[in-house]
Amino acid sequence: MKVVEIKNVTKIYNETEVQVNAVNGVTLDFREAEFAAIVGPSGSGKTTLLNLIGGLDNPTSGEIIIDGTVLAKLKSSELIDFRMRNIGFVFQAYNLIPVLTAKENVEFIMNLQKWSKEKRDERTFELLKAVGLYDRANSRPVKMSGGQQQRIAVARALASRPKFVLADEPTANLDSRSASTLLEIMEKLNHEEKITFIFSTHDARVVKMAHRVITLEDGKVVSDDVRE
Amino acid sequence: MIWKTAWKNVWRNKVRSLVVISSVTVGIFAGIFSVGLMNGLIAQRVDDALDEEISHIQITNKDFRINNDPGLFIGNPDEILSKIVTIAGIAGISERTVITGMANTAGKSAGVKITGIDPEKEKQIFSLNKKIMAGTGNYFEKESKYNLALIGQELAKDLNIIRYSVDTSTLSGLKEKGLPDKIIARLVPFIGKRFANEKAFIKEMKSVFSAGESMKYGLIIRKQAWSFREGTRLTLTFLDKDNNQVGAVFKLTGLYDVSNSMFEKSTVFVRNSDLKNLTGIPENAFHQLVVRITNLDQTGEITDLLAEKLPELEVINWKKIQPDLAMMTDMVSQFYLIFGIIILAALAFGIINTMLMVVLERTRELGMLTAIGMNKKKVFSMIMLESVFLSLTGGVTGMITGYILIRITSHTGINLSRYAEGFEAIGYSANVYPQISAGFFGIVTILIILTGMISSIYPALKALKLNPVEAIRAE
Repeated sequence: MKVVEIKNVTKIYNETEVQVNAVNGVTLDFREAEFAAIVGPSGSGKTTLLNLIGGLDNPTSGEIIIDGTVLAKLKSSELIDFRMRNIGFVFQAYNLIPVLTAKENVEFIMNLQKWSKEKRDERTFELLKAVGLYDRANSRPVKMSGGQQQRIAVARALASRPKFVLADEPTANLDSRSASTLLEIMEKLNHEEKITFIFSTHDARVVKMAHRVITLEDGKVVSDDVRE
Repeated sequence: MIWKTAWKNVWRNKVRSLVVISSVTVGIFAGIFSVGLMNGLIAQRVDDALDEEISHIQITNKDFRINNDPGLFIGNPDEILSKIVTIAGIAGISERTVITGMANTAGKSAGVKITGIDPEKEKQIFSLNKKIMAGTGNYFEKESKYNLALIGQELAKDLNIIRYSVDTSTLSGLKEKGLPDKIIARLVPFIGKRFANEKAFIKEMKSVFSAGESMKYGLIIRKQAWSFREGTRLTLTFLDKDNNQVGAVFKLTGLYDVSNSMFEKSTVFVRNSDLKNLTGIPENAFHQLVVRITNLDQTGEITDLLAEKLPELEVINWKKIQPDLAMMTDMVSQFYLIFGIIILAALAFGIINTMLMVVLERTRELGMLTAIGMNKKKVFSMIMLESVFLSLTGGVTGMITGYILIRITSHTGINLSRYAEGFEAIGYSANVYPQISAGFFGIVTILIILTGMISSIYPALKALKLNPVEAIRAE
């Protein structure tokens, strides 16, 4: 089943009157429970493509369809609501809310979606256990290592059972041990929760673990390797 | 969750938030206490005016207030009293004879309003009998074959009835009142000297005291140095009921001291019987019926009822007798509103500045929140709540401290005796008892919340304009 359909998408930035084709005629599909990495050199369009898939940016041409919904047809407010219900985000700099505890960060989106307290607690503790930070539920991000913060960010992204998770360079700020732990957790959750993970990365360890590797160059897909 | 997050965000930068909260606290405290002080001054002025000067309602002949003609008296007071005495809410009624005239002593004279009263009835309406200066006599308590008059302290000064002198008992009295020895020592050269009036005494005092010392100790020294000879006489001249000039000698029964210098200077009280003998006004006739009621809030209602029962007479209440007082009590709430808005507007700029810094510092976080699905309404609400929490925390602290200080000073009073002369010249007491109503705190709370909300609009709009893609990458 296709979760994400990208049809001939182009994104052109017009900066100082010099046009930049960040994404150039990309057509891709992502299926349920895929664990896919988008790789390529700096400036190849990885982050732009993720922003387009996540509905944070609009394509100049082409269309992106998420689980049957054409993103371009949604109004701004509908798009925000759509993101909340269907897409999980993991950012390079973790971006947790510093004044909230690990538990509160994880349940933030469930709160926005007005889940009951019982359901919230059940899901939060399930995810905290899954990322190995159950005992840090009441710690604030500032008291955690980078790797722990990113694991909380992954738990937050998965909290409301999105259709897929977009992770922009999730291991870029982590040491190798933390990165390995994070990747193992993500792969495990991908397997257990059947949620599609799409990464942009430079990290060879991520590429090694990915089930599918899409390579971009100058905004174009130059290879799309699916591994068994 | 939004509420909890907003509250926690307030304490993200404790020092900055505490600075804002402190400024709001000080502003609100100052506003609340000033209002309490003003309320106390006004309430006291109204109470004093009603208790000592005019009472709640006055009934006169329709033309008397304009003409002051002694012949415009009410000739049938018993019939009138029978009509109104049963009205619920009336605490007392007193008949007065009111004539304008001159008060004279050797070499001094002053225009005065001579008010003939029945001292026993007046005690039910006014508290003047409790305002007799110690050592000056009494409130018509001793029977006398002479005409008796009660005059104010200020009139006594103007007529040179009060004299000033310094002796050893003056100095020991000042010591008991806590005046520093160095101040008392400077009075020693004046022992044995007598001064004909206050002006002469003040002039001499200025030669040994600085302006600041005079301001601080002058009134206390004058109160200790004055003397009054019991049984002093003065002449009152006025017109009788047929407009013939009449003059008579009155023996002073005492001096009264109220918080209104103008009233003291201009009002002389005599017995109704003495005045009627001299003016030829019939025994059973009066110029004015003064009515005291039990509940100030019923003033309008009882005035209307009296006017309805007595259509041939003029019935007016204190708001019409002293319109300046009525205007002050009516306008004061608008004045407070303007005052409050000015304070809150000043505080709002501080809050806006802080919230703009908050938005700038949290650009990446706000971008992340929008990205993961926090809609504009919730982002706006969160910023607004933070701003409201900031202002409300300071506001509540300011209100509590203001309330506590008002509660304390409403019992102890605030002694502004340094400025007593100025205050009393315009009818205010120098001992102020601040007061404030519970309802006022409700209004202030609403205004503080509104200030927080209005202050957050611009910063919140800036937050909404953030592009999540750019905001997430912000440093």
